[in-house]
Amino acid sequence: MKGFFHNTWKHRAHVVMALPAFLVLLFIMYVPMSGLVLAFEKFDYSKGIFGSEWVGLANFEFLIKSKNTFLTMTRNTVLYYLLFTAVGTFLNIVVAISIDQLAFKRMAKTMQTLMIIPVFISYAAVQFIVFAFIDSRTGLINNTLGTNIRFYSKADYWPWILLIVKVWKDTGYGSVLYMSVLAGIDTSLYEAADIDGANKWQQIRHITVPSLIPMVTVMLLLSVGNVMRSDTGLFYQVTRNNGALYNTTQVIDSYILNQILKSSNFGYTAAASFFQSVVGLLLMLFANFTVRKIEPENALF
Amino acid sequence: MTVNAKQAKVRFNSGKKIGLGQIILLLCVLLFTVFCAAPVLLVFISAFADEMYINQHGFSFFPQVWSMNGMDSVLRYGNQLVQSYLVTIFVTVVGTLLGLLIMSMYAYSISRHGFMLSKFLSVFLLIPMLFNGGQLAGYIVFTSWYGLKDNLLLLILPLCVTTMNVIILRTYIANSIPGELMEAATIDGAGNYRTFFQITLPLLKPSLAAVGFMMATAYWNDWQNALLYITSNNKKPLQLLLINIQKSIEFLLNNNNVPAAARAAMGNTIPQYSSTMATVIVVIAPIMVIYPFFQKYFVKGLTVGSVKG
Repeated sequence: MKGFFHNTWKHRAHVVMALPAFLVLLFIMYVPMSGLVLAFEKFDYSKGIFGSEWVGLANFEFLIKSKNTFLTMTRNTVLYYLLFTAVGTFLNIVVAISIDQLAFKRMAKTMQTLMIIPVFISYAAVQFIVFAFIDSRTGLINNTLGTNIRFYSKADYWPWILLIVKVWKDTGYGSVLYMSVLAGIDTSLYEAADIDGANKWQQIRHITVPSLIPMVTVMLLLSVGNVMRSDTGLFYQVTRNNGALYNTTQVIDSYILNQILKSSNFGYTAAASFFQSVVGLLLMLFANFTVRKIEPENALF
Repeated sequence: MTVNAKQAKVRFNSGKKIGLGQIILLLCVLLFTVFCAAPVLLVFISAFADEMYINQHGFSFFPQVWSMNGMDSVLRYGNQLVQSYLVTIFVTVVGTLLGLLIMSMYAYSISRHGFMLSKFLSVFLLIPMLFNGGQLAGYIVFTSWYGLKDNLLLLILPLCVTTMNVIILRTYIANSIPGELMEAATIDGAGNYRTFFQITLPLLKPSLAAVGFMMATAYWNDWQNALLYITSNNKKPLQLLLINIQKSIEFLLNNNNVPAAARAAMGNTIPQYSSTMATVIVVIAPIMVIYPFFQKYFVKGLTVGSVKG
């Protein structure tokens, strides 16, 4: 113990340097965790978080009774997570390898520059762009096809629309992280494979892809804790928060945002929020545990 | 990657003759590039297309009638637009610089060997990624406990420190800055602060550039905190202005009680096609202009490693 204090005093400069970010994390991330007790209360703004009436599990009961809303938004959240993660990871890797393999280096660079641009456009702006494509009267798609499809009132189309928007927005930037790994691969490996007569495909399969695995694992692990969280802008802005589409577009995060803006039913909202946080934590611990069993090197902690 | 390895790679690639496979690959990547860039191009074209033309013929990559109407109607926001620009620039600059400084100090501290608290600080950093209170708890704590409402701090602090960014900075310090260099500085009598500010920080530049640019983008594009917390006009950032424009269009479209005079003033149509696209340009242009200067740091500066030290 004495050694610990001695060590901390010796490193006091490091304590001081870590302090500002420590305080921001404490006040912005840690203190709000106490707000999760709201899930067990009938929240009254005037009485505050710890003064409100305790109602036990009543909020959860209500949430489960309102089966449709809750089940639908949970299902949507999880399915979109799976869809986006699977398609996204695959495309990120394919694009990264393709650009890395291209012999036309300058062109590859320019194309990459263009691909990354969409990530810089906020969803508040993206929704105007999506509108230009899918509006029933003036939209580019309907005009080109000569049809009159009312995308904004047909929930069935939205999983595809959202997937396309997500791929459009995030793939270019997502591939950059993988490119940084590809740039670090020892080129002598390729040269040796070349001498041994391996063709391009074999080189990609046996050298490129395996070297990406640790990065893929880290990125997946980091994302698992967010299974219950979504890219709120995609679901709130791009759909124009359209009630007719909720069946396929309402996710937990957009539901909570709506409830806060309407400032109604904080109790049920808090229950949904609690559910979201706890499930995320459990999944993350489980995923990390599994990875550590199989490949301890790649585990996050 | 060392410079030698890079040169070797270039030679290795260009030594090959270009075959059919390369042409097919090029076409595929080109196709995907068009997929990514075309919608952005449509924004620019539509912003300078005639409002009535779009109204009658729809959005098009090749509109027949061009006009500056869209840009004119953006300028009509006048002072509010200028004010929103200032708010967004202020929040972006202050937030990014503050975040970079305190996150790199944190990353530096937890990567020191022999610093016993660094284990605890690493875990403290990691937990918010595993578990957090969510939007609602944040909203209630910020507004009722901290008493912050309609305050620019609510736009700055929530995006200031993120676990992911500290991990990126920490990985860069661990992988790309030789520990001997910092030890040597200490032996030569440089204090801890001096070592950090004069040795580590300058060497961290590629990572700071990449992380800083992504942070700046996140600040620039943040609409959610603004929607939740900002109420007064003089604190409204650009993204909230964009949302408000959308809301007022919807209001006008769904509301038949809008006086005829007001409708006539808008040319009998609600300016919603070229003018919204022009607004989008005004909002995204600054990032597009700055981005090419930072792109070179992207691959080098963004590497993610494990958090465990």
